[in-house]
Amino acid sequence: MTSLASQPAGRSGARRASVQEGGAVRSGMTLAAYLFLSPYLALFIAFMLLPTLAAVGISFMRWDILGTPEFIGLDNYRQIFADPLFLTAIRNTFYFVFLTAIPMVVLGLALAMLLDQKLKGTAFVRTVVFLPYVVMVSTVGILWGWLFDKGTGLVNYYLTTIGIEPIAWLKDPHWSMPALAITTIWWTVNTNMIIFLAALQDISEELHDAATLDGAGPWQRFVYITLPLLRPAMALVTALTIINGWRVFGQAYVMTQGGPEASTFVIVQYIYLTAFQNFEMGPAAAAGVVLLLITLVFSLAQMKLMKAI
Amino acid sequence: MQDQRSNRAGKSLGGRTLAYVLMIVVTALWGAPILWMLVTSIKPESEIYAYPPAWIPDAPTLEAYGALFQRFPMLTWFRNSAVVGILTTVLTLAVDALAAYPLARMQFPGRRVIMGVIFATFLLPYELLFVPLFLGLNSYGLVDSVFSLTVPASANAFGVFLLTQFFQAVPRELEDAAIMDGCGRFGFFWRILLPLTKPGLATVAIFTFVASWNNFFWPLIATNSDETRTLPVGLATLVGGAGMSMKQSVLMASAVVATLPTAIFFLALQRHFVRGIAATGIKG
Repeated sequence: MTSLASQPAGRSGARRASVQEGGAVRSGMTLAAYLFLSPYLALFIAFMLLPTLAAVGISFMRWDILGTPEFIGLDNYRQIFADPLFLTAIRNTFYFVFLTAIPMVVLGLALAMLLDQKLKGTAFVRTVVFLPYVVMVSTVGILWGWLFDKGTGLVNYYLTTIGIEPIAWLKDPHWSMPALAITTIWWTVNTNMIIFLAALQDISEELHDAATLDGAGPWQRFVYITLPLLRPAMALVTALTIINGWRVFGQAYVMTQGGPEASTFVIVQYIYLTAFQNFEMGPAAAAGVVLLLITLVFSLAQMKLMKAI
Repeated sequence: MQDQRSNRAGKSLGGRTLAYVLMIVVTALWGAPILWMLVTSIKPESEIYAYPPAWIPDAPTLEAYGALFQRFPMLTWFRNSAVVGILTTVLTLAVDALAAYPLARMQFPGRRVIMGVIFATFLLPYELLFVPLFLGLNSYGLVDSVFSLTVPASANAFGVFLLTQFFQAVPRELEDAAIMDGCGRFGFFWRILLPLTKPGLATVAIFTFVASWNNFFWPLIATNSDETRTLPVGLATLVGGAGMSMKQSVLMASAVVATLPTAIFFLALQRHFVRGIAATGIKG
């Protein structure tokens, strides 16, 4: 935590140093800087920057594994938007984002506030909540696939003990996406919790004490102190949750294979199917670009919204 | 870190009781699936579907683990995941730390642009890259190799971002003194900067290793033989088609085996990890 306090000082220190140094030193520094940067930049350009540009390029081409690539303008986009399966995938993915976004942010914050208190056992509970983070998606799918089983799953067993009829979670198109959302929240809410925890621990204690002395109750302190100070963390958590929501794939692939009745068929599975099972690289790249545009629009809208609040 | 906190909600007895009730509920909801996985993996066949569900097996056995290792190339998948995870982590730490040093502590033309471009990739859905990456690697005959599973992954921007935050916090005077003493920039980087920022390096190591160990989509595309297949891809085949008749105890044993390395890695470095996250600059 102490390292944080000195961080702005470090930044301005770097600026100060550059003012003091002469031109010769500075060109030496430029050379040194690029020497240090070069291994990462080489990897970044080769495996991040160029593939991004290539993806956009391929989306305008007919590009099968065999044969020469050919520029075909927007044909790939026309093709995927005429494909009912792609539209279903967009709708399903949007539904998944809708089901997960608010619980992931609200629950992430609630867990962080609960476990930020100075009470015995919070460290243990934090570790328990964080444990799913280290579980791989295939395992999450295998485990929750069974927990949600209609006949032998624990979820239905405990629901029936409180009088709820067994639900065919993963076999019923109405319940398959909520089941995936619950699984995902269990699996990944911990990342949001940790980000909120880090932000909460940075809010000074005196602020709360002063407000308490002025007669502010817990709710007022939450609304007027905690929430405003959490805005940067809130913005980050919301953006990450939404982007990751649009990128959902593994859970759906392992638990339901996109079914039943394509009710959990998502955009990334469409990319996978188109590129690596039908070997149509152009339309798959176009679907990838659409995914990028969707996440960009959502990120920008969310940033605007955060500023407005 | 925790000790500075006062009892915000827990001041009254009622508040504290409520907090503990909630903590028990949270522990049950998040812990039960993991516990169920462990318990089922050591159950004999006759107990797996016992009604009501039994949380303590009557006659614990390791036969599910035996069956798992006998019927599937678990050791090969495990070894592949370990090799890929370790190589990716070492490579990522090396290139990220080298890149973060000038970004955090030097002034040079292009710095802002480079940082902007690198950090913009945070918002990139990586799935977009898989088609061109696959085509590119395929044209060099590199698909289904350790290379395709390790090197592209180390271009990730997260480690650079996190280490930049850590490196900025190290006082300027230390660097000036070190360079004055003839230590050189690399000497300062290697002998002073890195040892001072161990929590940051540990956090990047955890994130990278866990991400690599659990990475699913890219290895699903980039591997097509058991020789290179990693655990997540191998395990996914247990539930599809061939695995439909698989006993739940064997599936849960696979889950335990797959989770153990990352769980141990995480628990061992957990202390650094929370400090590392706290230092990301994501604060109120």
